[in-house]
Amino acid sequence: MNVGDALLEVRNVTKTFNKVVRALDNVSIEVRRNEMVSVVGENGAGKSTLMKILVGVYKPDSGKMYYMGREVPFPENPLDALRRGISIVYQEKGVIPHLKVYQFLFLGLEDRFTRLGRLQLEKIIGLARSVFEELGIKCDLASSMYELPLSTQKMVEIARAILNIKLMVGEGSNITPIIILDEPTAPLSLEERDELFSYLTSLKKSNSFIFVSHIIPEVITFSDRIYVLRDGKLTAHHDVRSEKVFEEELFKEIVGRASYHELWARYESVKVRDIDKKPTVLSVRNLTKRGYYTNISFDLHEGECVGLFGPAGCGKSEIARSLYGDIVADYGEVIVDGKKLKLRGEPHTRVRMGIGYFSGETGKELLLFWPIRKNLSLVNFDKVTKSSLKIVSVISFKAEKSLAERIMNKLRIKAPSVEAECYSLSGGNKQKVSVGKWIERAPRILILEDPTIGIDVGAREDIYDALLEMKKNGISMILVSDDPKEYALLCDKIIYIKEGTSQAVYTNEEFRKVMGL
Amino acid sequence: MAQAWISREWFQRNLNTIIPISGLVILIISLRIANPYFLTSWDSAITLIYGMAWFMVAACGLTLVILMGSFDFSVPSVLKLSAMIFAVLYPMLGLYSILLSLAVGLLFGFINGTLLARFNIPSFMVTLATSMVAEGAAQVISGGYTRIITDPAFRAISTTMILGLPSIFYWAILVWILCIFVTFVTPFGRTIYAIGGNIVGTRLAGINVKKARTLVFMLCSLLASFAGILYASQIQGAHMQVGVLDMIPLFASVVVGGTALTGGVGGVHRTLLGVIIIRWLDSGLSMLAIDLNVRMIIFGAIAIVMAILTIDRRRIKIMK
Amino acid sequence: MKSDWERVRMGSPVITSLWRLVKSNPAVWAIFGLIVIFSAIVPEKFLSSSNLVAILKNFAVTSMLAVGPTFVILLGSIDVSYMGIWMLGGALVWLLYPYLGLASILIYPIFGILVGLFNGMVHVKAKIPSFILTLAVTAVFAFLTTYIRNVSGVLTLTVPAYNFLRESPIPYLPSPFLLALPVIVAALFLMFFTKLGTYLCAIGSNEEGAKLAGINVEKYKIMAFTVSGLLTGLGSIAIFVHLGCQTRVDFDPSELVRGLAAIVLGGTPLAGGMGGPHRTLLGALVYVLIFNGLFLLPGVDPNHLKLYIGALLMGAVIVASRALRGVLIA
Repeated sequence: MNVGDALLEVRNVTKTFNKVVRALDNVSIEVRRNEMVSVVGENGAGKSTLMKILVGVYKPDSGKMYYMGREVPFPENPLDALRRGISIVYQEKGVIPHLKVYQFLFLGLEDRFTRLGRLQLEKIIGLARSVFEELGIKCDLASSMYELPLSTQKMVEIARAILNIKLMVGEGSNITPIIILDEPTAPLSLEERDELFSYLTSLKKSNSFIFVSHIIPEVITFSDRIYVLRDGKLTAHHDVRSEKVFEEELFKEIVGRASYHELWARYESVKVRDIDKKPTVLSVRNLTKRGYYTNISFDLHEGECVGLFGPAGCGKSEIARSLYGDIVADYGEVIVDGKKLKLRGEPHTRVRMGIGYFSGETGKELLLFWPIRKNLSLVNFDKVTKSSLKIVSVISFKAEKSLAERIMNKLRIKAPSVEAECYSLSGGNKQKVSVGKWIERAPRILILEDPTIGIDVGAREDIYDALLEMKKNGISMILVSDDPKEYALLCDKIIYIKEGTSQAVYTNEEFRKVMGL
Repeated sequence: MAQAWISREWFQRNLNTIIPISGLVILIISLRIANPYFLTSWDSAITLIYGMAWFMVAACGLTLVILMGSFDFSVPSVLKLSAMIFAVLYPMLGLYSILLSLAVGLLFGFINGTLLARFNIPSFMVTLATSMVAEGAAQVISGGYTRIITDPAFRAISTTMILGLPSIFYWAILVWILCIFVTFVTPFGRTIYAIGGNIVGTRLAGINVKKARTLVFMLCSLLASFAGILYASQIQGAHMQVGVLDMIPLFASVVVGGTALTGGVGGVHRTLLGVIIIRWLDSGLSMLAIDLNVRMIIFGAIAIVMAILTIDRRRIKIMK
Repeated sequence: MKSDWERVRMGSPVITSLWRLVKSNPAVWAIFGLIVIFSAIVPEKFLSSSNLVAILKNFAVTSMLAVGPTFVILLGSIDVSYMGIWMLGGALVWLLYPYLGLASILIYPIFGILVGLFNGMVHVKAKIPSFILTLAVTAVFAFLTTYIRNVSGVLTLTVPAYNFLRESPIPYLPSPFLLALPVIVAALFLMFFTKLGTYLCAIGSNEEGAKLAGINVEKYKIMAFTVSGLLTGLGSIAIFVHLGCQTRVDFDPSELVRGLAAIVLGGTPLAGGMGGPHRTLLGALVYVLIFNGLFLLPGVDPNHLKLYIGALLMGAVIVASRALRGVLIA
């Protein structure tokens, strides 16, 4: 490949964190003029690290960068990247909800429109209008960002990125802006996605895009070339314009296919025959939350694991969180043991009914500055207290310690002692502490949301072992995740959710067949 | 190992403990130098206890709220209102007026906690509003007049001598020990720390956060109310100036003890030290004829400095 | 109905902008309602020219306490140091008058800026919760003011030389109001015609996003506190004149609540991100009208003022709390 036709190229980029974790290993990609390049991979494959290197948030350990054929140093900071025509639109957190559209569009650029200390609002609004006309965005400039539909918010963000580059480089120069889109479609509905993509296609005339995603169909449909990253390495490269790329093939390249037989064997080893005949512990009827999901119904039997599968933003995580009472559904029924739960119930009422909730977001779940011991007993007060005084229950530190030691041994948590503060642990061990408290509590239903997000393989296996053992002991589970492997490993029944409605119900075998596992 | 002990890290970790203890030592030495008669007689010790005990009761309650990461601005006002109710109603109801007074305290705590937990209003705003209401109510009840009760039974609540010490001393120690017990070894106490540490995680762990927060505010106001009763009994009545100048010293004594404003760090056990330091400093400074206003300025400055020193910056992402 | 409105709005841009103002500011309805109610119950008292002048004066005082801190509230933080700036600033003017002459009134804004800078630096760098910090600052300053009065052996800290400021050149417009006008204009200018207003809203709305957009968040937070201090310092001149060229020498929490109540009643949410001084001005008017009208009614005891203020603040924050749903707050 000739270096000359690439607009931007990075070669042999390697980045290591803490001298151990190799996030990127010898990765080379290039972006040409007026094309959309996709970078796909699982969580933790190194996509966002690569993007952060491109916009100057991180510095790579080694590697070279070429811009229009000339070698250039890697950008020092986002502003530096902007001067070279590279800008990023973040997955979330980029939008500032309470600003007016024109305020948001020119955020950070006000100095160019200030005369004698006074902001020239007419000029800003006029320019905003012409920018929107040029880029084909239709919305009221005076409305607040949060009032706009999500797809329009994304478009405004993209317009902002282009405008930033143009103003930074200078209007006259014929630079082609490179816009990095980090999972732009995650929160969008299907129609909104189509709208966004047709919009991006129209912008391709004068810009290049790097599209970071893990949603396969849209990647194949809309990009010109695809790079696949797995565990920090570049594993495949496709040119969609010259070859036909199939979803299954791409999927296998993304997840790798090493251990599927083993997965299947492990699933089979704890599988219970005729699980449908077991008593129902939870039934959900027509559960609806406006704007997120509609008419979700399913039954959960004893010892069964139901997976809610679908693209990010399809409403699966909201369903799980409504079942736990973290957010409130609008209507519908949730029945546990024949008792109807109040939709408005807080999480503690759910725990009383025997429902537990565990997510991979340890920062949200754990008390990071508490020792392991206290974190584990937070949901297990009844196990570590003795109510010797009848009225007040008193925590027994001895019982607490032995409980913590038991769980630490069982889950192989690596820590100096039960008194080690959680923030000092590695990500995997944190997650183990987080799941450990529910193992001891042994609720009858456990809701899992991304249980192994962003942790290393060893810790992941330990957590799977623990979950499978719980399942064997008759604990029912509801799984929400981004990783199909997890569904194949844990679930007896998989409900495919798209845009908030359930589309199909698969058994484990069918699911594996559909996903090509 | 000995070197590791006095390392910089050890010093930083235990800053919350080192400062109050060294502060107390410095305080005692300097008061001794400034006034050779300082604390030489049993009587002066008892005077000090009278100055500290009721204060300690209120400070324990405030500590619980601060541990939770909230703030209760209404403590001195509830204290005043309770003292006033007790004194005004005593001639009619006798000692039963204590119950009424405590009930009013609980009610204020309930309002604070409910507005905070159910309506999600920042605690300082809520308690500022309720403190105004309590002040107003005290004005309405008393008509703005000072009430003096000479009945010995009224006085006996806090001044009965047991083993050479007034009963108010035992009340304060009792409250202190109970609070320590609750915060250290009961699930409820664990919950208070958990809310201060990570309220979102605590809620997800299936703990009734709303109830716990309301209960803590009720406990705080109950203790403030009890402090008011003890104080009224001690000074034989109540007047509109009760509690007016207490907010800053109260706050100062909690943070001087080493309880961080961000919540989750510190404890009621530390507050004893804080109260001793602040009240001792107060009486020492007033012995040196230092103006009341200057004392308040000193306490305010101490409070700010200690708040800066005790906050655990590792755990803050965004500070509002 | 709606189409009628549309047509009217199409016809006149003035009506359009007025309609927007009314629609986005419920305080306008409250002002309208209060005026109607009090004019109906006690017309001869409420609508007398002396009472209307009193309303204007009180409006000037209340709004001068509240417009500055509004900039900090946009961040989602809070600044209650206005009491301290007002009280101690006046004491400093009194102290320095013998040396500086008439120029000593300039101490007010300078002192305001310094206090604001201090608050901002400590809040941002040492990460102290802003409410506690500024409250402690106010308390320290208030006691210092009382101390200065006590030491100097006078009853009030009055500077009679400024009495010429008390006479208004325009009939029916009291001089505190005229002195407040430039501060109001400055606040509105800062909010709508400089990037400061936008940046503060951005930080209050989504701090991480603001950082990603390249805004120096720490700098603008400090700047918000400084602007708050400056505006309060300037505004305190109006209050100083209103009180007869003297400052307050004893701390009264109900004065502290006054500023907060005006902000909350105006509809600037405590969570930050939206609102601004224009809303605070409306809120100040609501506050003034309520208490002005209330004490004109028969059977209302001014001694119970605190009770009413507390109840009003409680009601106001409950109404304003709708904006905070879904967030767990300390």
